[in-house]
Amino acid sequence: MGAGREVRTPHLIRIMPAQGDSSHRPCSDLSKAGTVTSTTSISTTRRLRWRVVDIVVASVLAVAASFLFIVWNTAYLGPSNLLTPLLPGVQGLVNGLWFIAGPLVALVVRKPGAALYGELVAAIVSALVGNQWGATTIISGLVQGLGAEIVFAVLAYRVWTWWSAALAGALSGAFASVYDLGLLPGLPGGYAGSSAAFGAVYLPSQAISGAVLAGLLAWVVVRALAATGALARFPAGRAVRPR
Amino acid sequence: MTAPLDRTNPVARLLVAIAFAVVLVLSVDVVSAGVALVLGGLLLLAAGVRPRGLALRMLPVLLVAPFAGLTIALYGAASGGVLLSWGFVHVTEGSLRLGLATLLRVLAIGVCGIGLLGGIDATRLADGLAQLLHLPARFVLGALAAFRLMGLLGQDWRALSLARRARGVADSGQARRFAGQAFALLVLSVRRGGVLATAMEARGFGGPGVRTWARPSRLGRADAVLVLAAVLVLGAAVAASVLTGSWHPVAVLGG
Repeated sequence: MGAGREVRTPHLIRIMPAQGDSSHRPCSDLSKAGTVTSTTSISTTRRLRWRVVDIVVASVLAVAASFLFIVWNTAYLGPSNLLTPLLPGVQGLVNGLWFIAGPLVALVVRKPGAALYGELVAAIVSALVGNQWGATTIISGLVQGLGAEIVFAVLAYRVWTWWSAALAGALSGAFASVYDLGLLPGLPGGYAGSSAAFGAVYLPSQAISGAVLAGLLAWVVVRALAATGALARFPAGRAVRPR
Repeated sequence: MTAPLDRTNPVARLLVAIAFAVVLVLSVDVVSAGVALVLGGLLLLAAGVRPRGLALRMLPVLLVAPFAGLTIALYGAASGGVLLSWGFVHVTEGSLRLGLATLLRVLAIGVCGIGLLGGIDATRLADGLAQLLHLPARFVLGALAAFRLMGLLGQDWRALSLARRARGVADSGQARRFAGQAFALLVLSVRRGGVLATAMEARGFGGPGVRTWARPSRLGRADAVLVLAAVLVLGAAVAASVLTGSWHPVAVLGG
């Protein structure tokens, strides 16, 4: 190792004790006993730095979300076409499922860029498997992920409640709409060329859908995941007492 | 003999697919979309994409494309003679043309996207993204690892089904059972991801040293040919559209 390089404690030592330990208790109990002191004095850089386990589990969740996307890429047609005749643009109400990867990954790993990374990876897998939007899926993922990311960034990556998740889903939907309607200069949009009335219905529909089907649903899933103990290596898992 | 497309670098294919999509949506018109659809399809066939496989993978696109076109035809920006007006529905000559153009565009983007991206080897793509585009290696390889774990999911699903049946918890409603089992699969994947991360770190992944690559990723002559062909196809599509006067840049929301 070169001179002057930052010496880091190996991740394993910090993480491993919780693994496979059936008598594992939430950290608050442990710190009371005085065995863990680092949790209270975690520096901001360490709090925000991606560990390997963050990267791998974020990727696993993103790929899992992409499976949902792949099913929804054709299954959405049913509900979407039922809604469209009611009021053009309300079909946006079913699109929220496509924004779930961002809030889901962010709520679990709680790192800067997590929402963007999750949505982008899920979109890339969806595009690689093949869908009607081709490579533009990746642009969609980027835009949607950015929407969710901005909310968590504004909250300084400290607020991981149901309402921050819903807000992230909503902004994700709003960003997606701006892109879909072809309002980003030089970028393709599925509904480019549609009328202003359509857009005025479509954008709020997608925002609402994003808040519910992406934000709140992700929050519920993460809470359920935490309750199983599978997130023991993440702050999201330690916040919930295992059943 | 391997097909010419298989000798290209996945990164080149990805970038060409993105270029196709971006250029095709600069304008909503029948000519550019139609020319790109026909020439792009021919290019893919010449590059060794099997027509049967391509057609099969195109099925979802063929299913969706008419609806995309219909939406724009019914609710698109109005112009020209009104053909039908009912509530929010305004079918005009202009919106009908936009609808047809949208249909062709979805097909063209779909053919090129599926033809170019379909069958990309994820491992080679990851190698290329990290080495050629210099995306952060930890993230690219982490994503690749997660992607490859998914190959085990089919097996897991069967094992879960059997376990649930053995425990007698598989008798409730279909939808509920599916949702419960899908969640169990998610839990299993997250746990396995954690174990994998530990194993990767134990082998030095994410360490402070300089990373070396077992599989070097390079661009070659096949990639140059692919890019050149794509430029020609896109150039022809745009030129044909402009020359026939049908080039119609996507404007900000019309009235």
